[in-house]
Amino acid sequence: MSDWVLRGLKTGIKTTRYPDAPETRPGISPGLPILGQEIAGVAELCPTRALLAENRCVTVDYRRCVHCFRCARPQDVTPARWQPGYEWAAVEASGNLERGVFGGSLHVLVVDAGDCGACLSEIAQLNNPYYNMHRLGFFITPTPRSADVLLVIGPVTDHMRLPLQKCYEAMPTPKRVVAVGACALSGGVFGPSFVAGSGAADVIPVDVLVPGCPPPPLAILHGLLVAVGRKPAAQITSSAGPAKAETVEVI
Amino acid sequence: MNLEFILLATFLVLCCAGVLVAILAPDRRNPFALAWIGSLASVSILWLSVDVLVSGHTLEIPLWTLPRLGMLTIAVGRLSALFLGTAGIVFLAASVFSVAYLRRYLGHYSLKWFGVLYHTLFASVVLILVAGDVLSFLLAWEVMAIASYLLVNYEHEHEENTQAGWLMLAMGEAGTLAAGIALLILANSAGSLTFSKFAAGSATLAPGMRWAIFLLSFLGFGVKAGLVPFSVWLPRAHPVAPANVSAILSGVILNLGLYGIVRVNMEFLPMTLLGPGLVALILGSISALVGILYATAENDMKTMLAHSSIENMGIIVTGLGAGFIFTATGHSALAAIAFVAAFYHMLNHSVYKALLFLGAGTVDLHVGTRDMDRLGGLIKVMPWTGLFFLVGALSISALPPFNGFVSEWLTLQSLLRSVELDSAAIGTVFAFCGAALALTAGLAVTCFVKAFAMTFLGMARSKQVDQAFEAKRAITTPLGGLAVLCLVLGVTPTFVIPVLDNTLKPFTGASAAQTLIPPFFLRTAPAQLPPAFVSEFHDLGAQIGKGVVPAAGLVVLHRGAERNPVVFAMSTSYMFIVLVLLLAGSFGIVRLWVARKRTVTRRLRWDGGIRRLLPAMTYTATGFSSPVSVIFDAVLHPTTVEDTRETIHEHFRTAIRRSRQDIHILEWIVFRPLAAVAASIADACARMHNGRLNAYVTYVLVTLIGILLLSLSVQT
Amino acid sequence: MELTGIVEQAGQRWPGMARLLTRRAAGECELECAPSIAPDLCGWLFSELGYSFGTLIVEERKSEWELRYIFYGNSDGIVQVLVRQPLAERVFGSLIGRVHAADWNEREAEDLFGLGFQGHPRLGDFVLHDDRWDEGVAPMRKGVNGHAPHTKPRHERDWQPHLVLEAPGAFVMPIGPVYSGIAESGLFLLETQGEDVVRTLPRLFYKYRGIEKIAEGRTAADVLLLAERTNGTSAFAHGLAFCLATEKICGIEPPGRARRLRVLLAELERLRHHTGAIREICESTGLAVGTSQAAILEEELLSLSCAFTGHRYLFGANAIGGLTRDFETGACRNVIAAARNIVERLSELEEMLRFSSSFLDRLEDVGIVSQQDARTFGLVGPIARASGVLRDLRKLLPYSGYEAFAFEVPGEQEGDGYARLRILFAEGRQAFRVMEQAVDALPEGAVRTEAFESRPGAALGWVEAPRGAAFHWVRIGDDGAVARYRLATPSFINWNGFHLAAENFAFQDFPIIMASFGLSVAENDR
Repeated sequence: MSDWVLRGLKTGIKTTRYPDAPETRPGISPGLPILGQEIAGVAELCPTRALLAENRCVTVDYRRCVHCFRCARPQDVTPARWQPGYEWAAVEASGNLERGVFGGSLHVLVVDAGDCGACLSEIAQLNNPYYNMHRLGFFITPTPRSADVLLVIGPVTDHMRLPLQKCYEAMPTPKRVVAVGACALSGGVFGPSFVAGSGAADVIPVDVLVPGCPPPPLAILHGLLVAVGRKPAAQITSSAGPAKAETVEVI
Repeated sequence: MNLEFILLATFLVLCCAGVLVAILAPDRRNPFALAWIGSLASVSILWLSVDVLVSGHTLEIPLWTLPRLGMLTIAVGRLSALFLGTAGIVFLAASVFSVAYLRRYLGHYSLKWFGVLYHTLFASVVLILVAGDVLSFLLAWEVMAIASYLLVNYEHEHEENTQAGWLMLAMGEAGTLAAGIALLILANSAGSLTFSKFAAGSATLAPGMRWAIFLLSFLGFGVKAGLVPFSVWLPRAHPVAPANVSAILSGVILNLGLYGIVRVNMEFLPMTLLGPGLVALILGSISALVGILYATAENDMKTMLAHSSIENMGIIVTGLGAGFIFTATGHSALAAIAFVAAFYHMLNHSVYKALLFLGAGTVDLHVGTRDMDRLGGLIKVMPWTGLFFLVGALSISALPPFNGFVSEWLTLQSLLRSVELDSAAIGTVFAFCGAALALTAGLAVTCFVKAFAMTFLGMARSKQVDQAFEAKRAITTPLGGLAVLCLVLGVTPTFVIPVLDNTLKPFTGASAAQTLIPPFFLRTAPAQLPPAFVSEFHDLGAQIGKGVVPAAGLVVLHRGAERNPVVFAMSTSYMFIVLVLLLAGSFGIVRLWVARKRTVTRRLRWDGGIRRLLPAMTYTATGFSSPVSVIFDAVLHPTTVEDTRETIHEHFRTAIRRSRQDIHILEWIVFRPLAAVAASIADACARMHNGRLNAYVTYVLVTLIGILLLSLSVQT
Repeated sequence: MELTGIVEQAGQRWPGMARLLTRRAAGECELECAPSIAPDLCGWLFSELGYSFGTLIVEERKSEWELRYIFYGNSDGIVQVLVRQPLAERVFGSLIGRVHAADWNEREAEDLFGLGFQGHPRLGDFVLHDDRWDEGVAPMRKGVNGHAPHTKPRHERDWQPHLVLEAPGAFVMPIGPVYSGIAESGLFLLETQGEDVVRTLPRLFYKYRGIEKIAEGRTAADVLLLAERTNGTSAFAHGLAFCLATEKICGIEPPGRARRLRVLLAELERLRHHTGAIREICESTGLAVGTSQAAILEEELLSLSCAFTGHRYLFGANAIGGLTRDFETGACRNVIAAARNIVERLSELEEMLRFSSSFLDRLEDVGIVSQQDARTFGLVGPIARASGVLRDLRKLLPYSGYEAFAFEVPGEQEGDGYARLRILFAEGRQAFRVMEQAVDALPEGAVRTEAFESRPGAALGWVEAPRGAAFHWVRIGDDGAVARYRLATPSFINWNGFHLAAENFAFQDFPIIMASFGLSVAENDR
């Protein structure tokens, strides 16, 4: 048994200092495309219309981005610019969510409504020594009866509509819903179809949106912090008209 | 013509009237008549018993004198009155219950017959308890045996009922034989059949004879009381009888066995030997453990309650055994405590066992099945029945503030008093028996949690439950009355113990109430407790209620002697008050303060998100008790009857069949070997019947010559 | 036996009933046989010739059904047994009794296409749950619109689970579909009498996304996105299988540099997947420090993947014809250096786990799958190799240049949880070995073929995904869009064998058996 203790001590502290300080380790996030003039050239490559250029107005809708990188690595066209970062979570209604509703700790129920496994794996990374959400007072609970936040992943397949609804109804108030991943926000590449919906908002009211395919653990962490009001929300869509080709920074 | 005589006479008249009315009235009216007459008869017996217990008057009625044998008498003392009171309570509840319950037999079996037998049984029970001499005792006993056999066999169309009743009758008669011999030995040494002469006459008996009387009476009456190893008839007979009869069997008839043991070994032949007490102690503990073990593994409600009766009888006999040992070693105060515990437990057991049996009968009546694997969710449809059954379950599990707690606490305390004995060996036996009782108590909680939860809580496990409906007031009233009595007996131990004490003082010579109930309510400090100690208890609040409550105190307390200066105390009275205050307080706080800001919503139970929970998805009674079954495998001795699997194409499982059979431990340790021995002896003797006429003529000749020789030798 | 020998023997045994249709390159042959003898022929291939069953591909052509049974084996090559029947005749003979591994494929075909398989005893309520779908809806048929949302069924039916335990007091413990902390959705019914769980009945397809249906009509590039996101933790492998199939159809060959880099990325994914599986096993047994150690290694591999390719799960790296981007040699060498360090620490972790008796107690002799059962149920991947069925597509049917790499395929015999754990560690080490070789001899050149025209045709692509053998069948229609996409994943085969490991066990071992199997519900449900 002591071997494990020594091993643990030898490994040292790996935990990130986020949210007190930004994390800069390489490989923590795939990034997201940002608005710029060149987007107009690659918008038609986007399979999910996350980049839209119509009427000479370009929009970026992060809810739809599935990280296919077609706009980043096009053949024969200027690629879109991508910005690293991970604080992507937005709130459904404008404004931020009230702070202090849940006290010091948060119990999170994870409901898998048809995800591919990548979002679930990223959520599982939240418990590893690098991200360690326990130090922020976030815990995963297996039952909705003791859950504060419902974390939904997947496009909500037909068979999971009823379980998701039951989960939501079984949670006591106050409760918040965080939709994680492109599938839960817009159906991703799967929905809507005869068995997949176009996201969690079809079934239950959603409070926080975390885009990405899959969103890296720090983005999910940011989403949970937004859900408890400890961090300000970001913008999930941005648009620029033809006269001003300015970039709208999304961290 | 004093009150007692009038009451007894009224009772007998009512019983005769009951028999007549049962014969004459049409079947439809019979339950009604039975209920009324039975209730009135019970009330008169109760009145008689309360009167005798409180005032101490005895009733002596000489009947007639038999030449050279003695006087046939009726004698009602405090001891008989105690048992009469218990019988009265159970019969009252059973009679009222019968109004609605007997309707299920209308048109199927003859209700006249039931009425006749019921009143006969009641009369015979009372006659046993008031009998003052051997002959009337045995006569009444036989009538009781036959009446109870016929009642057990009431649903005679089922073959197994007849077999169960037959076994009960056969074993009962064997026990009666042994007990009868014991009584006759006592009669012989006293020179008279009258009970009142026995105590004087038996003072000079030799130890060998004392042992014989003890063993004969203990084992003989023990058959009736359901002691291991003679209890095999109990789990078969009690469940098959109608529910009201089962309640009477468990609540009254078993007590008759105890009555016999107690009268012989406390009154007629006060205990001077150490051995008998040990026998009682050990057999009692084993009974308790075996009884509760099989109760926990059992799924049929009434069979489980029958096994539980064995357990409770075991606890009572353990208390009696402790009392015998303390009497024999001269610690009369401790003996008094032990006997008070045993009798208190007897009283409690009758009350809550009747409650539970009537409750099981209610469930059976309204749902149609007793198998706990098929019940569930009944509390939604039968809330009152469920509530009263819960009270019974809490009582039998010895949880405060109900009555079971008080008597088990007293029993365990009296076992712990073994520290004051000199012999370490006896102390060790006490320790083992105490451990067995503690294990029993734990298993009892498991058993009755299962009984209540699987029947009333959760989801319905079968379609039969859908047809259930709440019982009428005629049924819930006796249940409620018994439940209230459970609570009352539990909350007022300091009132009950003096009553029991007065009954037992003549036999033990010491007062348990004086030892157990320090008079905190009196102005002067009690003599035997040191002042510092008294003031401590005053600080704890032992004088709350002074002047309001007419008793010596509300705390049951025992303080050890110099060898063991430890204090054991409990007070269910104060506990009950505190419980009520806490419950009311928390309810009030939640309702008035916490819930003001929040709304309470009701939602369906969380089930993982599946569409609907199927009945197959709830825990079954077998599953609940399977850990106990697995741990006690060696005792329960299961044999696997079936363990097969059926497949299609070798990989699609269509059925996995598992079933096992438990053989009762008494059967494979005691009865199967005995039966084997008896069979082999019989086989040997059967060789006599060889069918040849010559051989038979030879037998006759040999017998004739033998008798001639015998008569010649006798003459000379 | 050589493929020619098979064709001859088949012709002899069933004269006139079987004929060789086509012989493709790389040892694939297509054998058409009459519907009446198909079960016998398949049984012969499976039992006597020792082939493994890959998958069943059902296609609704213009006027007939085409059922394609894929067999692969010890000898070189793939045998495709093709059965054709007019559209009106929808009943086929079932392979049950001869090739039990086809069980779930037939059930799926019955649910999604409305076919009947005579002799299969358990058709019904499989992919389409009874309580949400009317009887007779066959969504994979051409006439059904895959984009119209599904409405409530006309008749509300309750699902009746097929419970088999007949014992007094038997009951069922339902687990799911939402259960545990972080777990995929699925329902498990544990039949028990109160102590041991006698049998497990899984009910999956709560996550059925209809990938095969919504792929129809999309371009190959869009279907590649679907293939990657079938199961995000083995995205590169499935994307690679799809690309290989499509490249075969279009007749293009990715350049050598691309092929070697594909191998590098596939093995990187395998290493990361196995580290994650090790973490899950440690987590299920409650070994906190071991879990953290494995989690650290997994996070380092994820960060390494992201720093190298731009995405933590290697999304968007594959393209039809090669890769979407090139990698500098220096970056490749850094990856190897970092991976070497990780693999060293992984081996240290294995040493420590080997001596943790409380940990081993919970894994040894738990969830045993016998070799016989593994073979009968056609299990693949590390689970099968832990039970002694040592088949690996990288060795049997090398693709993307694997024939040039030297590596071992580890195997164990016990088939319990501990054996599966040892296989994970050993395969991780072998994966790194391949990665080293891939970077050592990396040829120069492009990483993607020139632009090409897609042409109609059909082909089978296969890959040894981290969980086992995966087969992708792609048919491109005349309009250049994908007309049929069959996605046969290793989890689909292996989930059928889960109940073998989950029989007669104590309830608290259930999460451990699940974790040691390491299966993906998303990969199964598609």
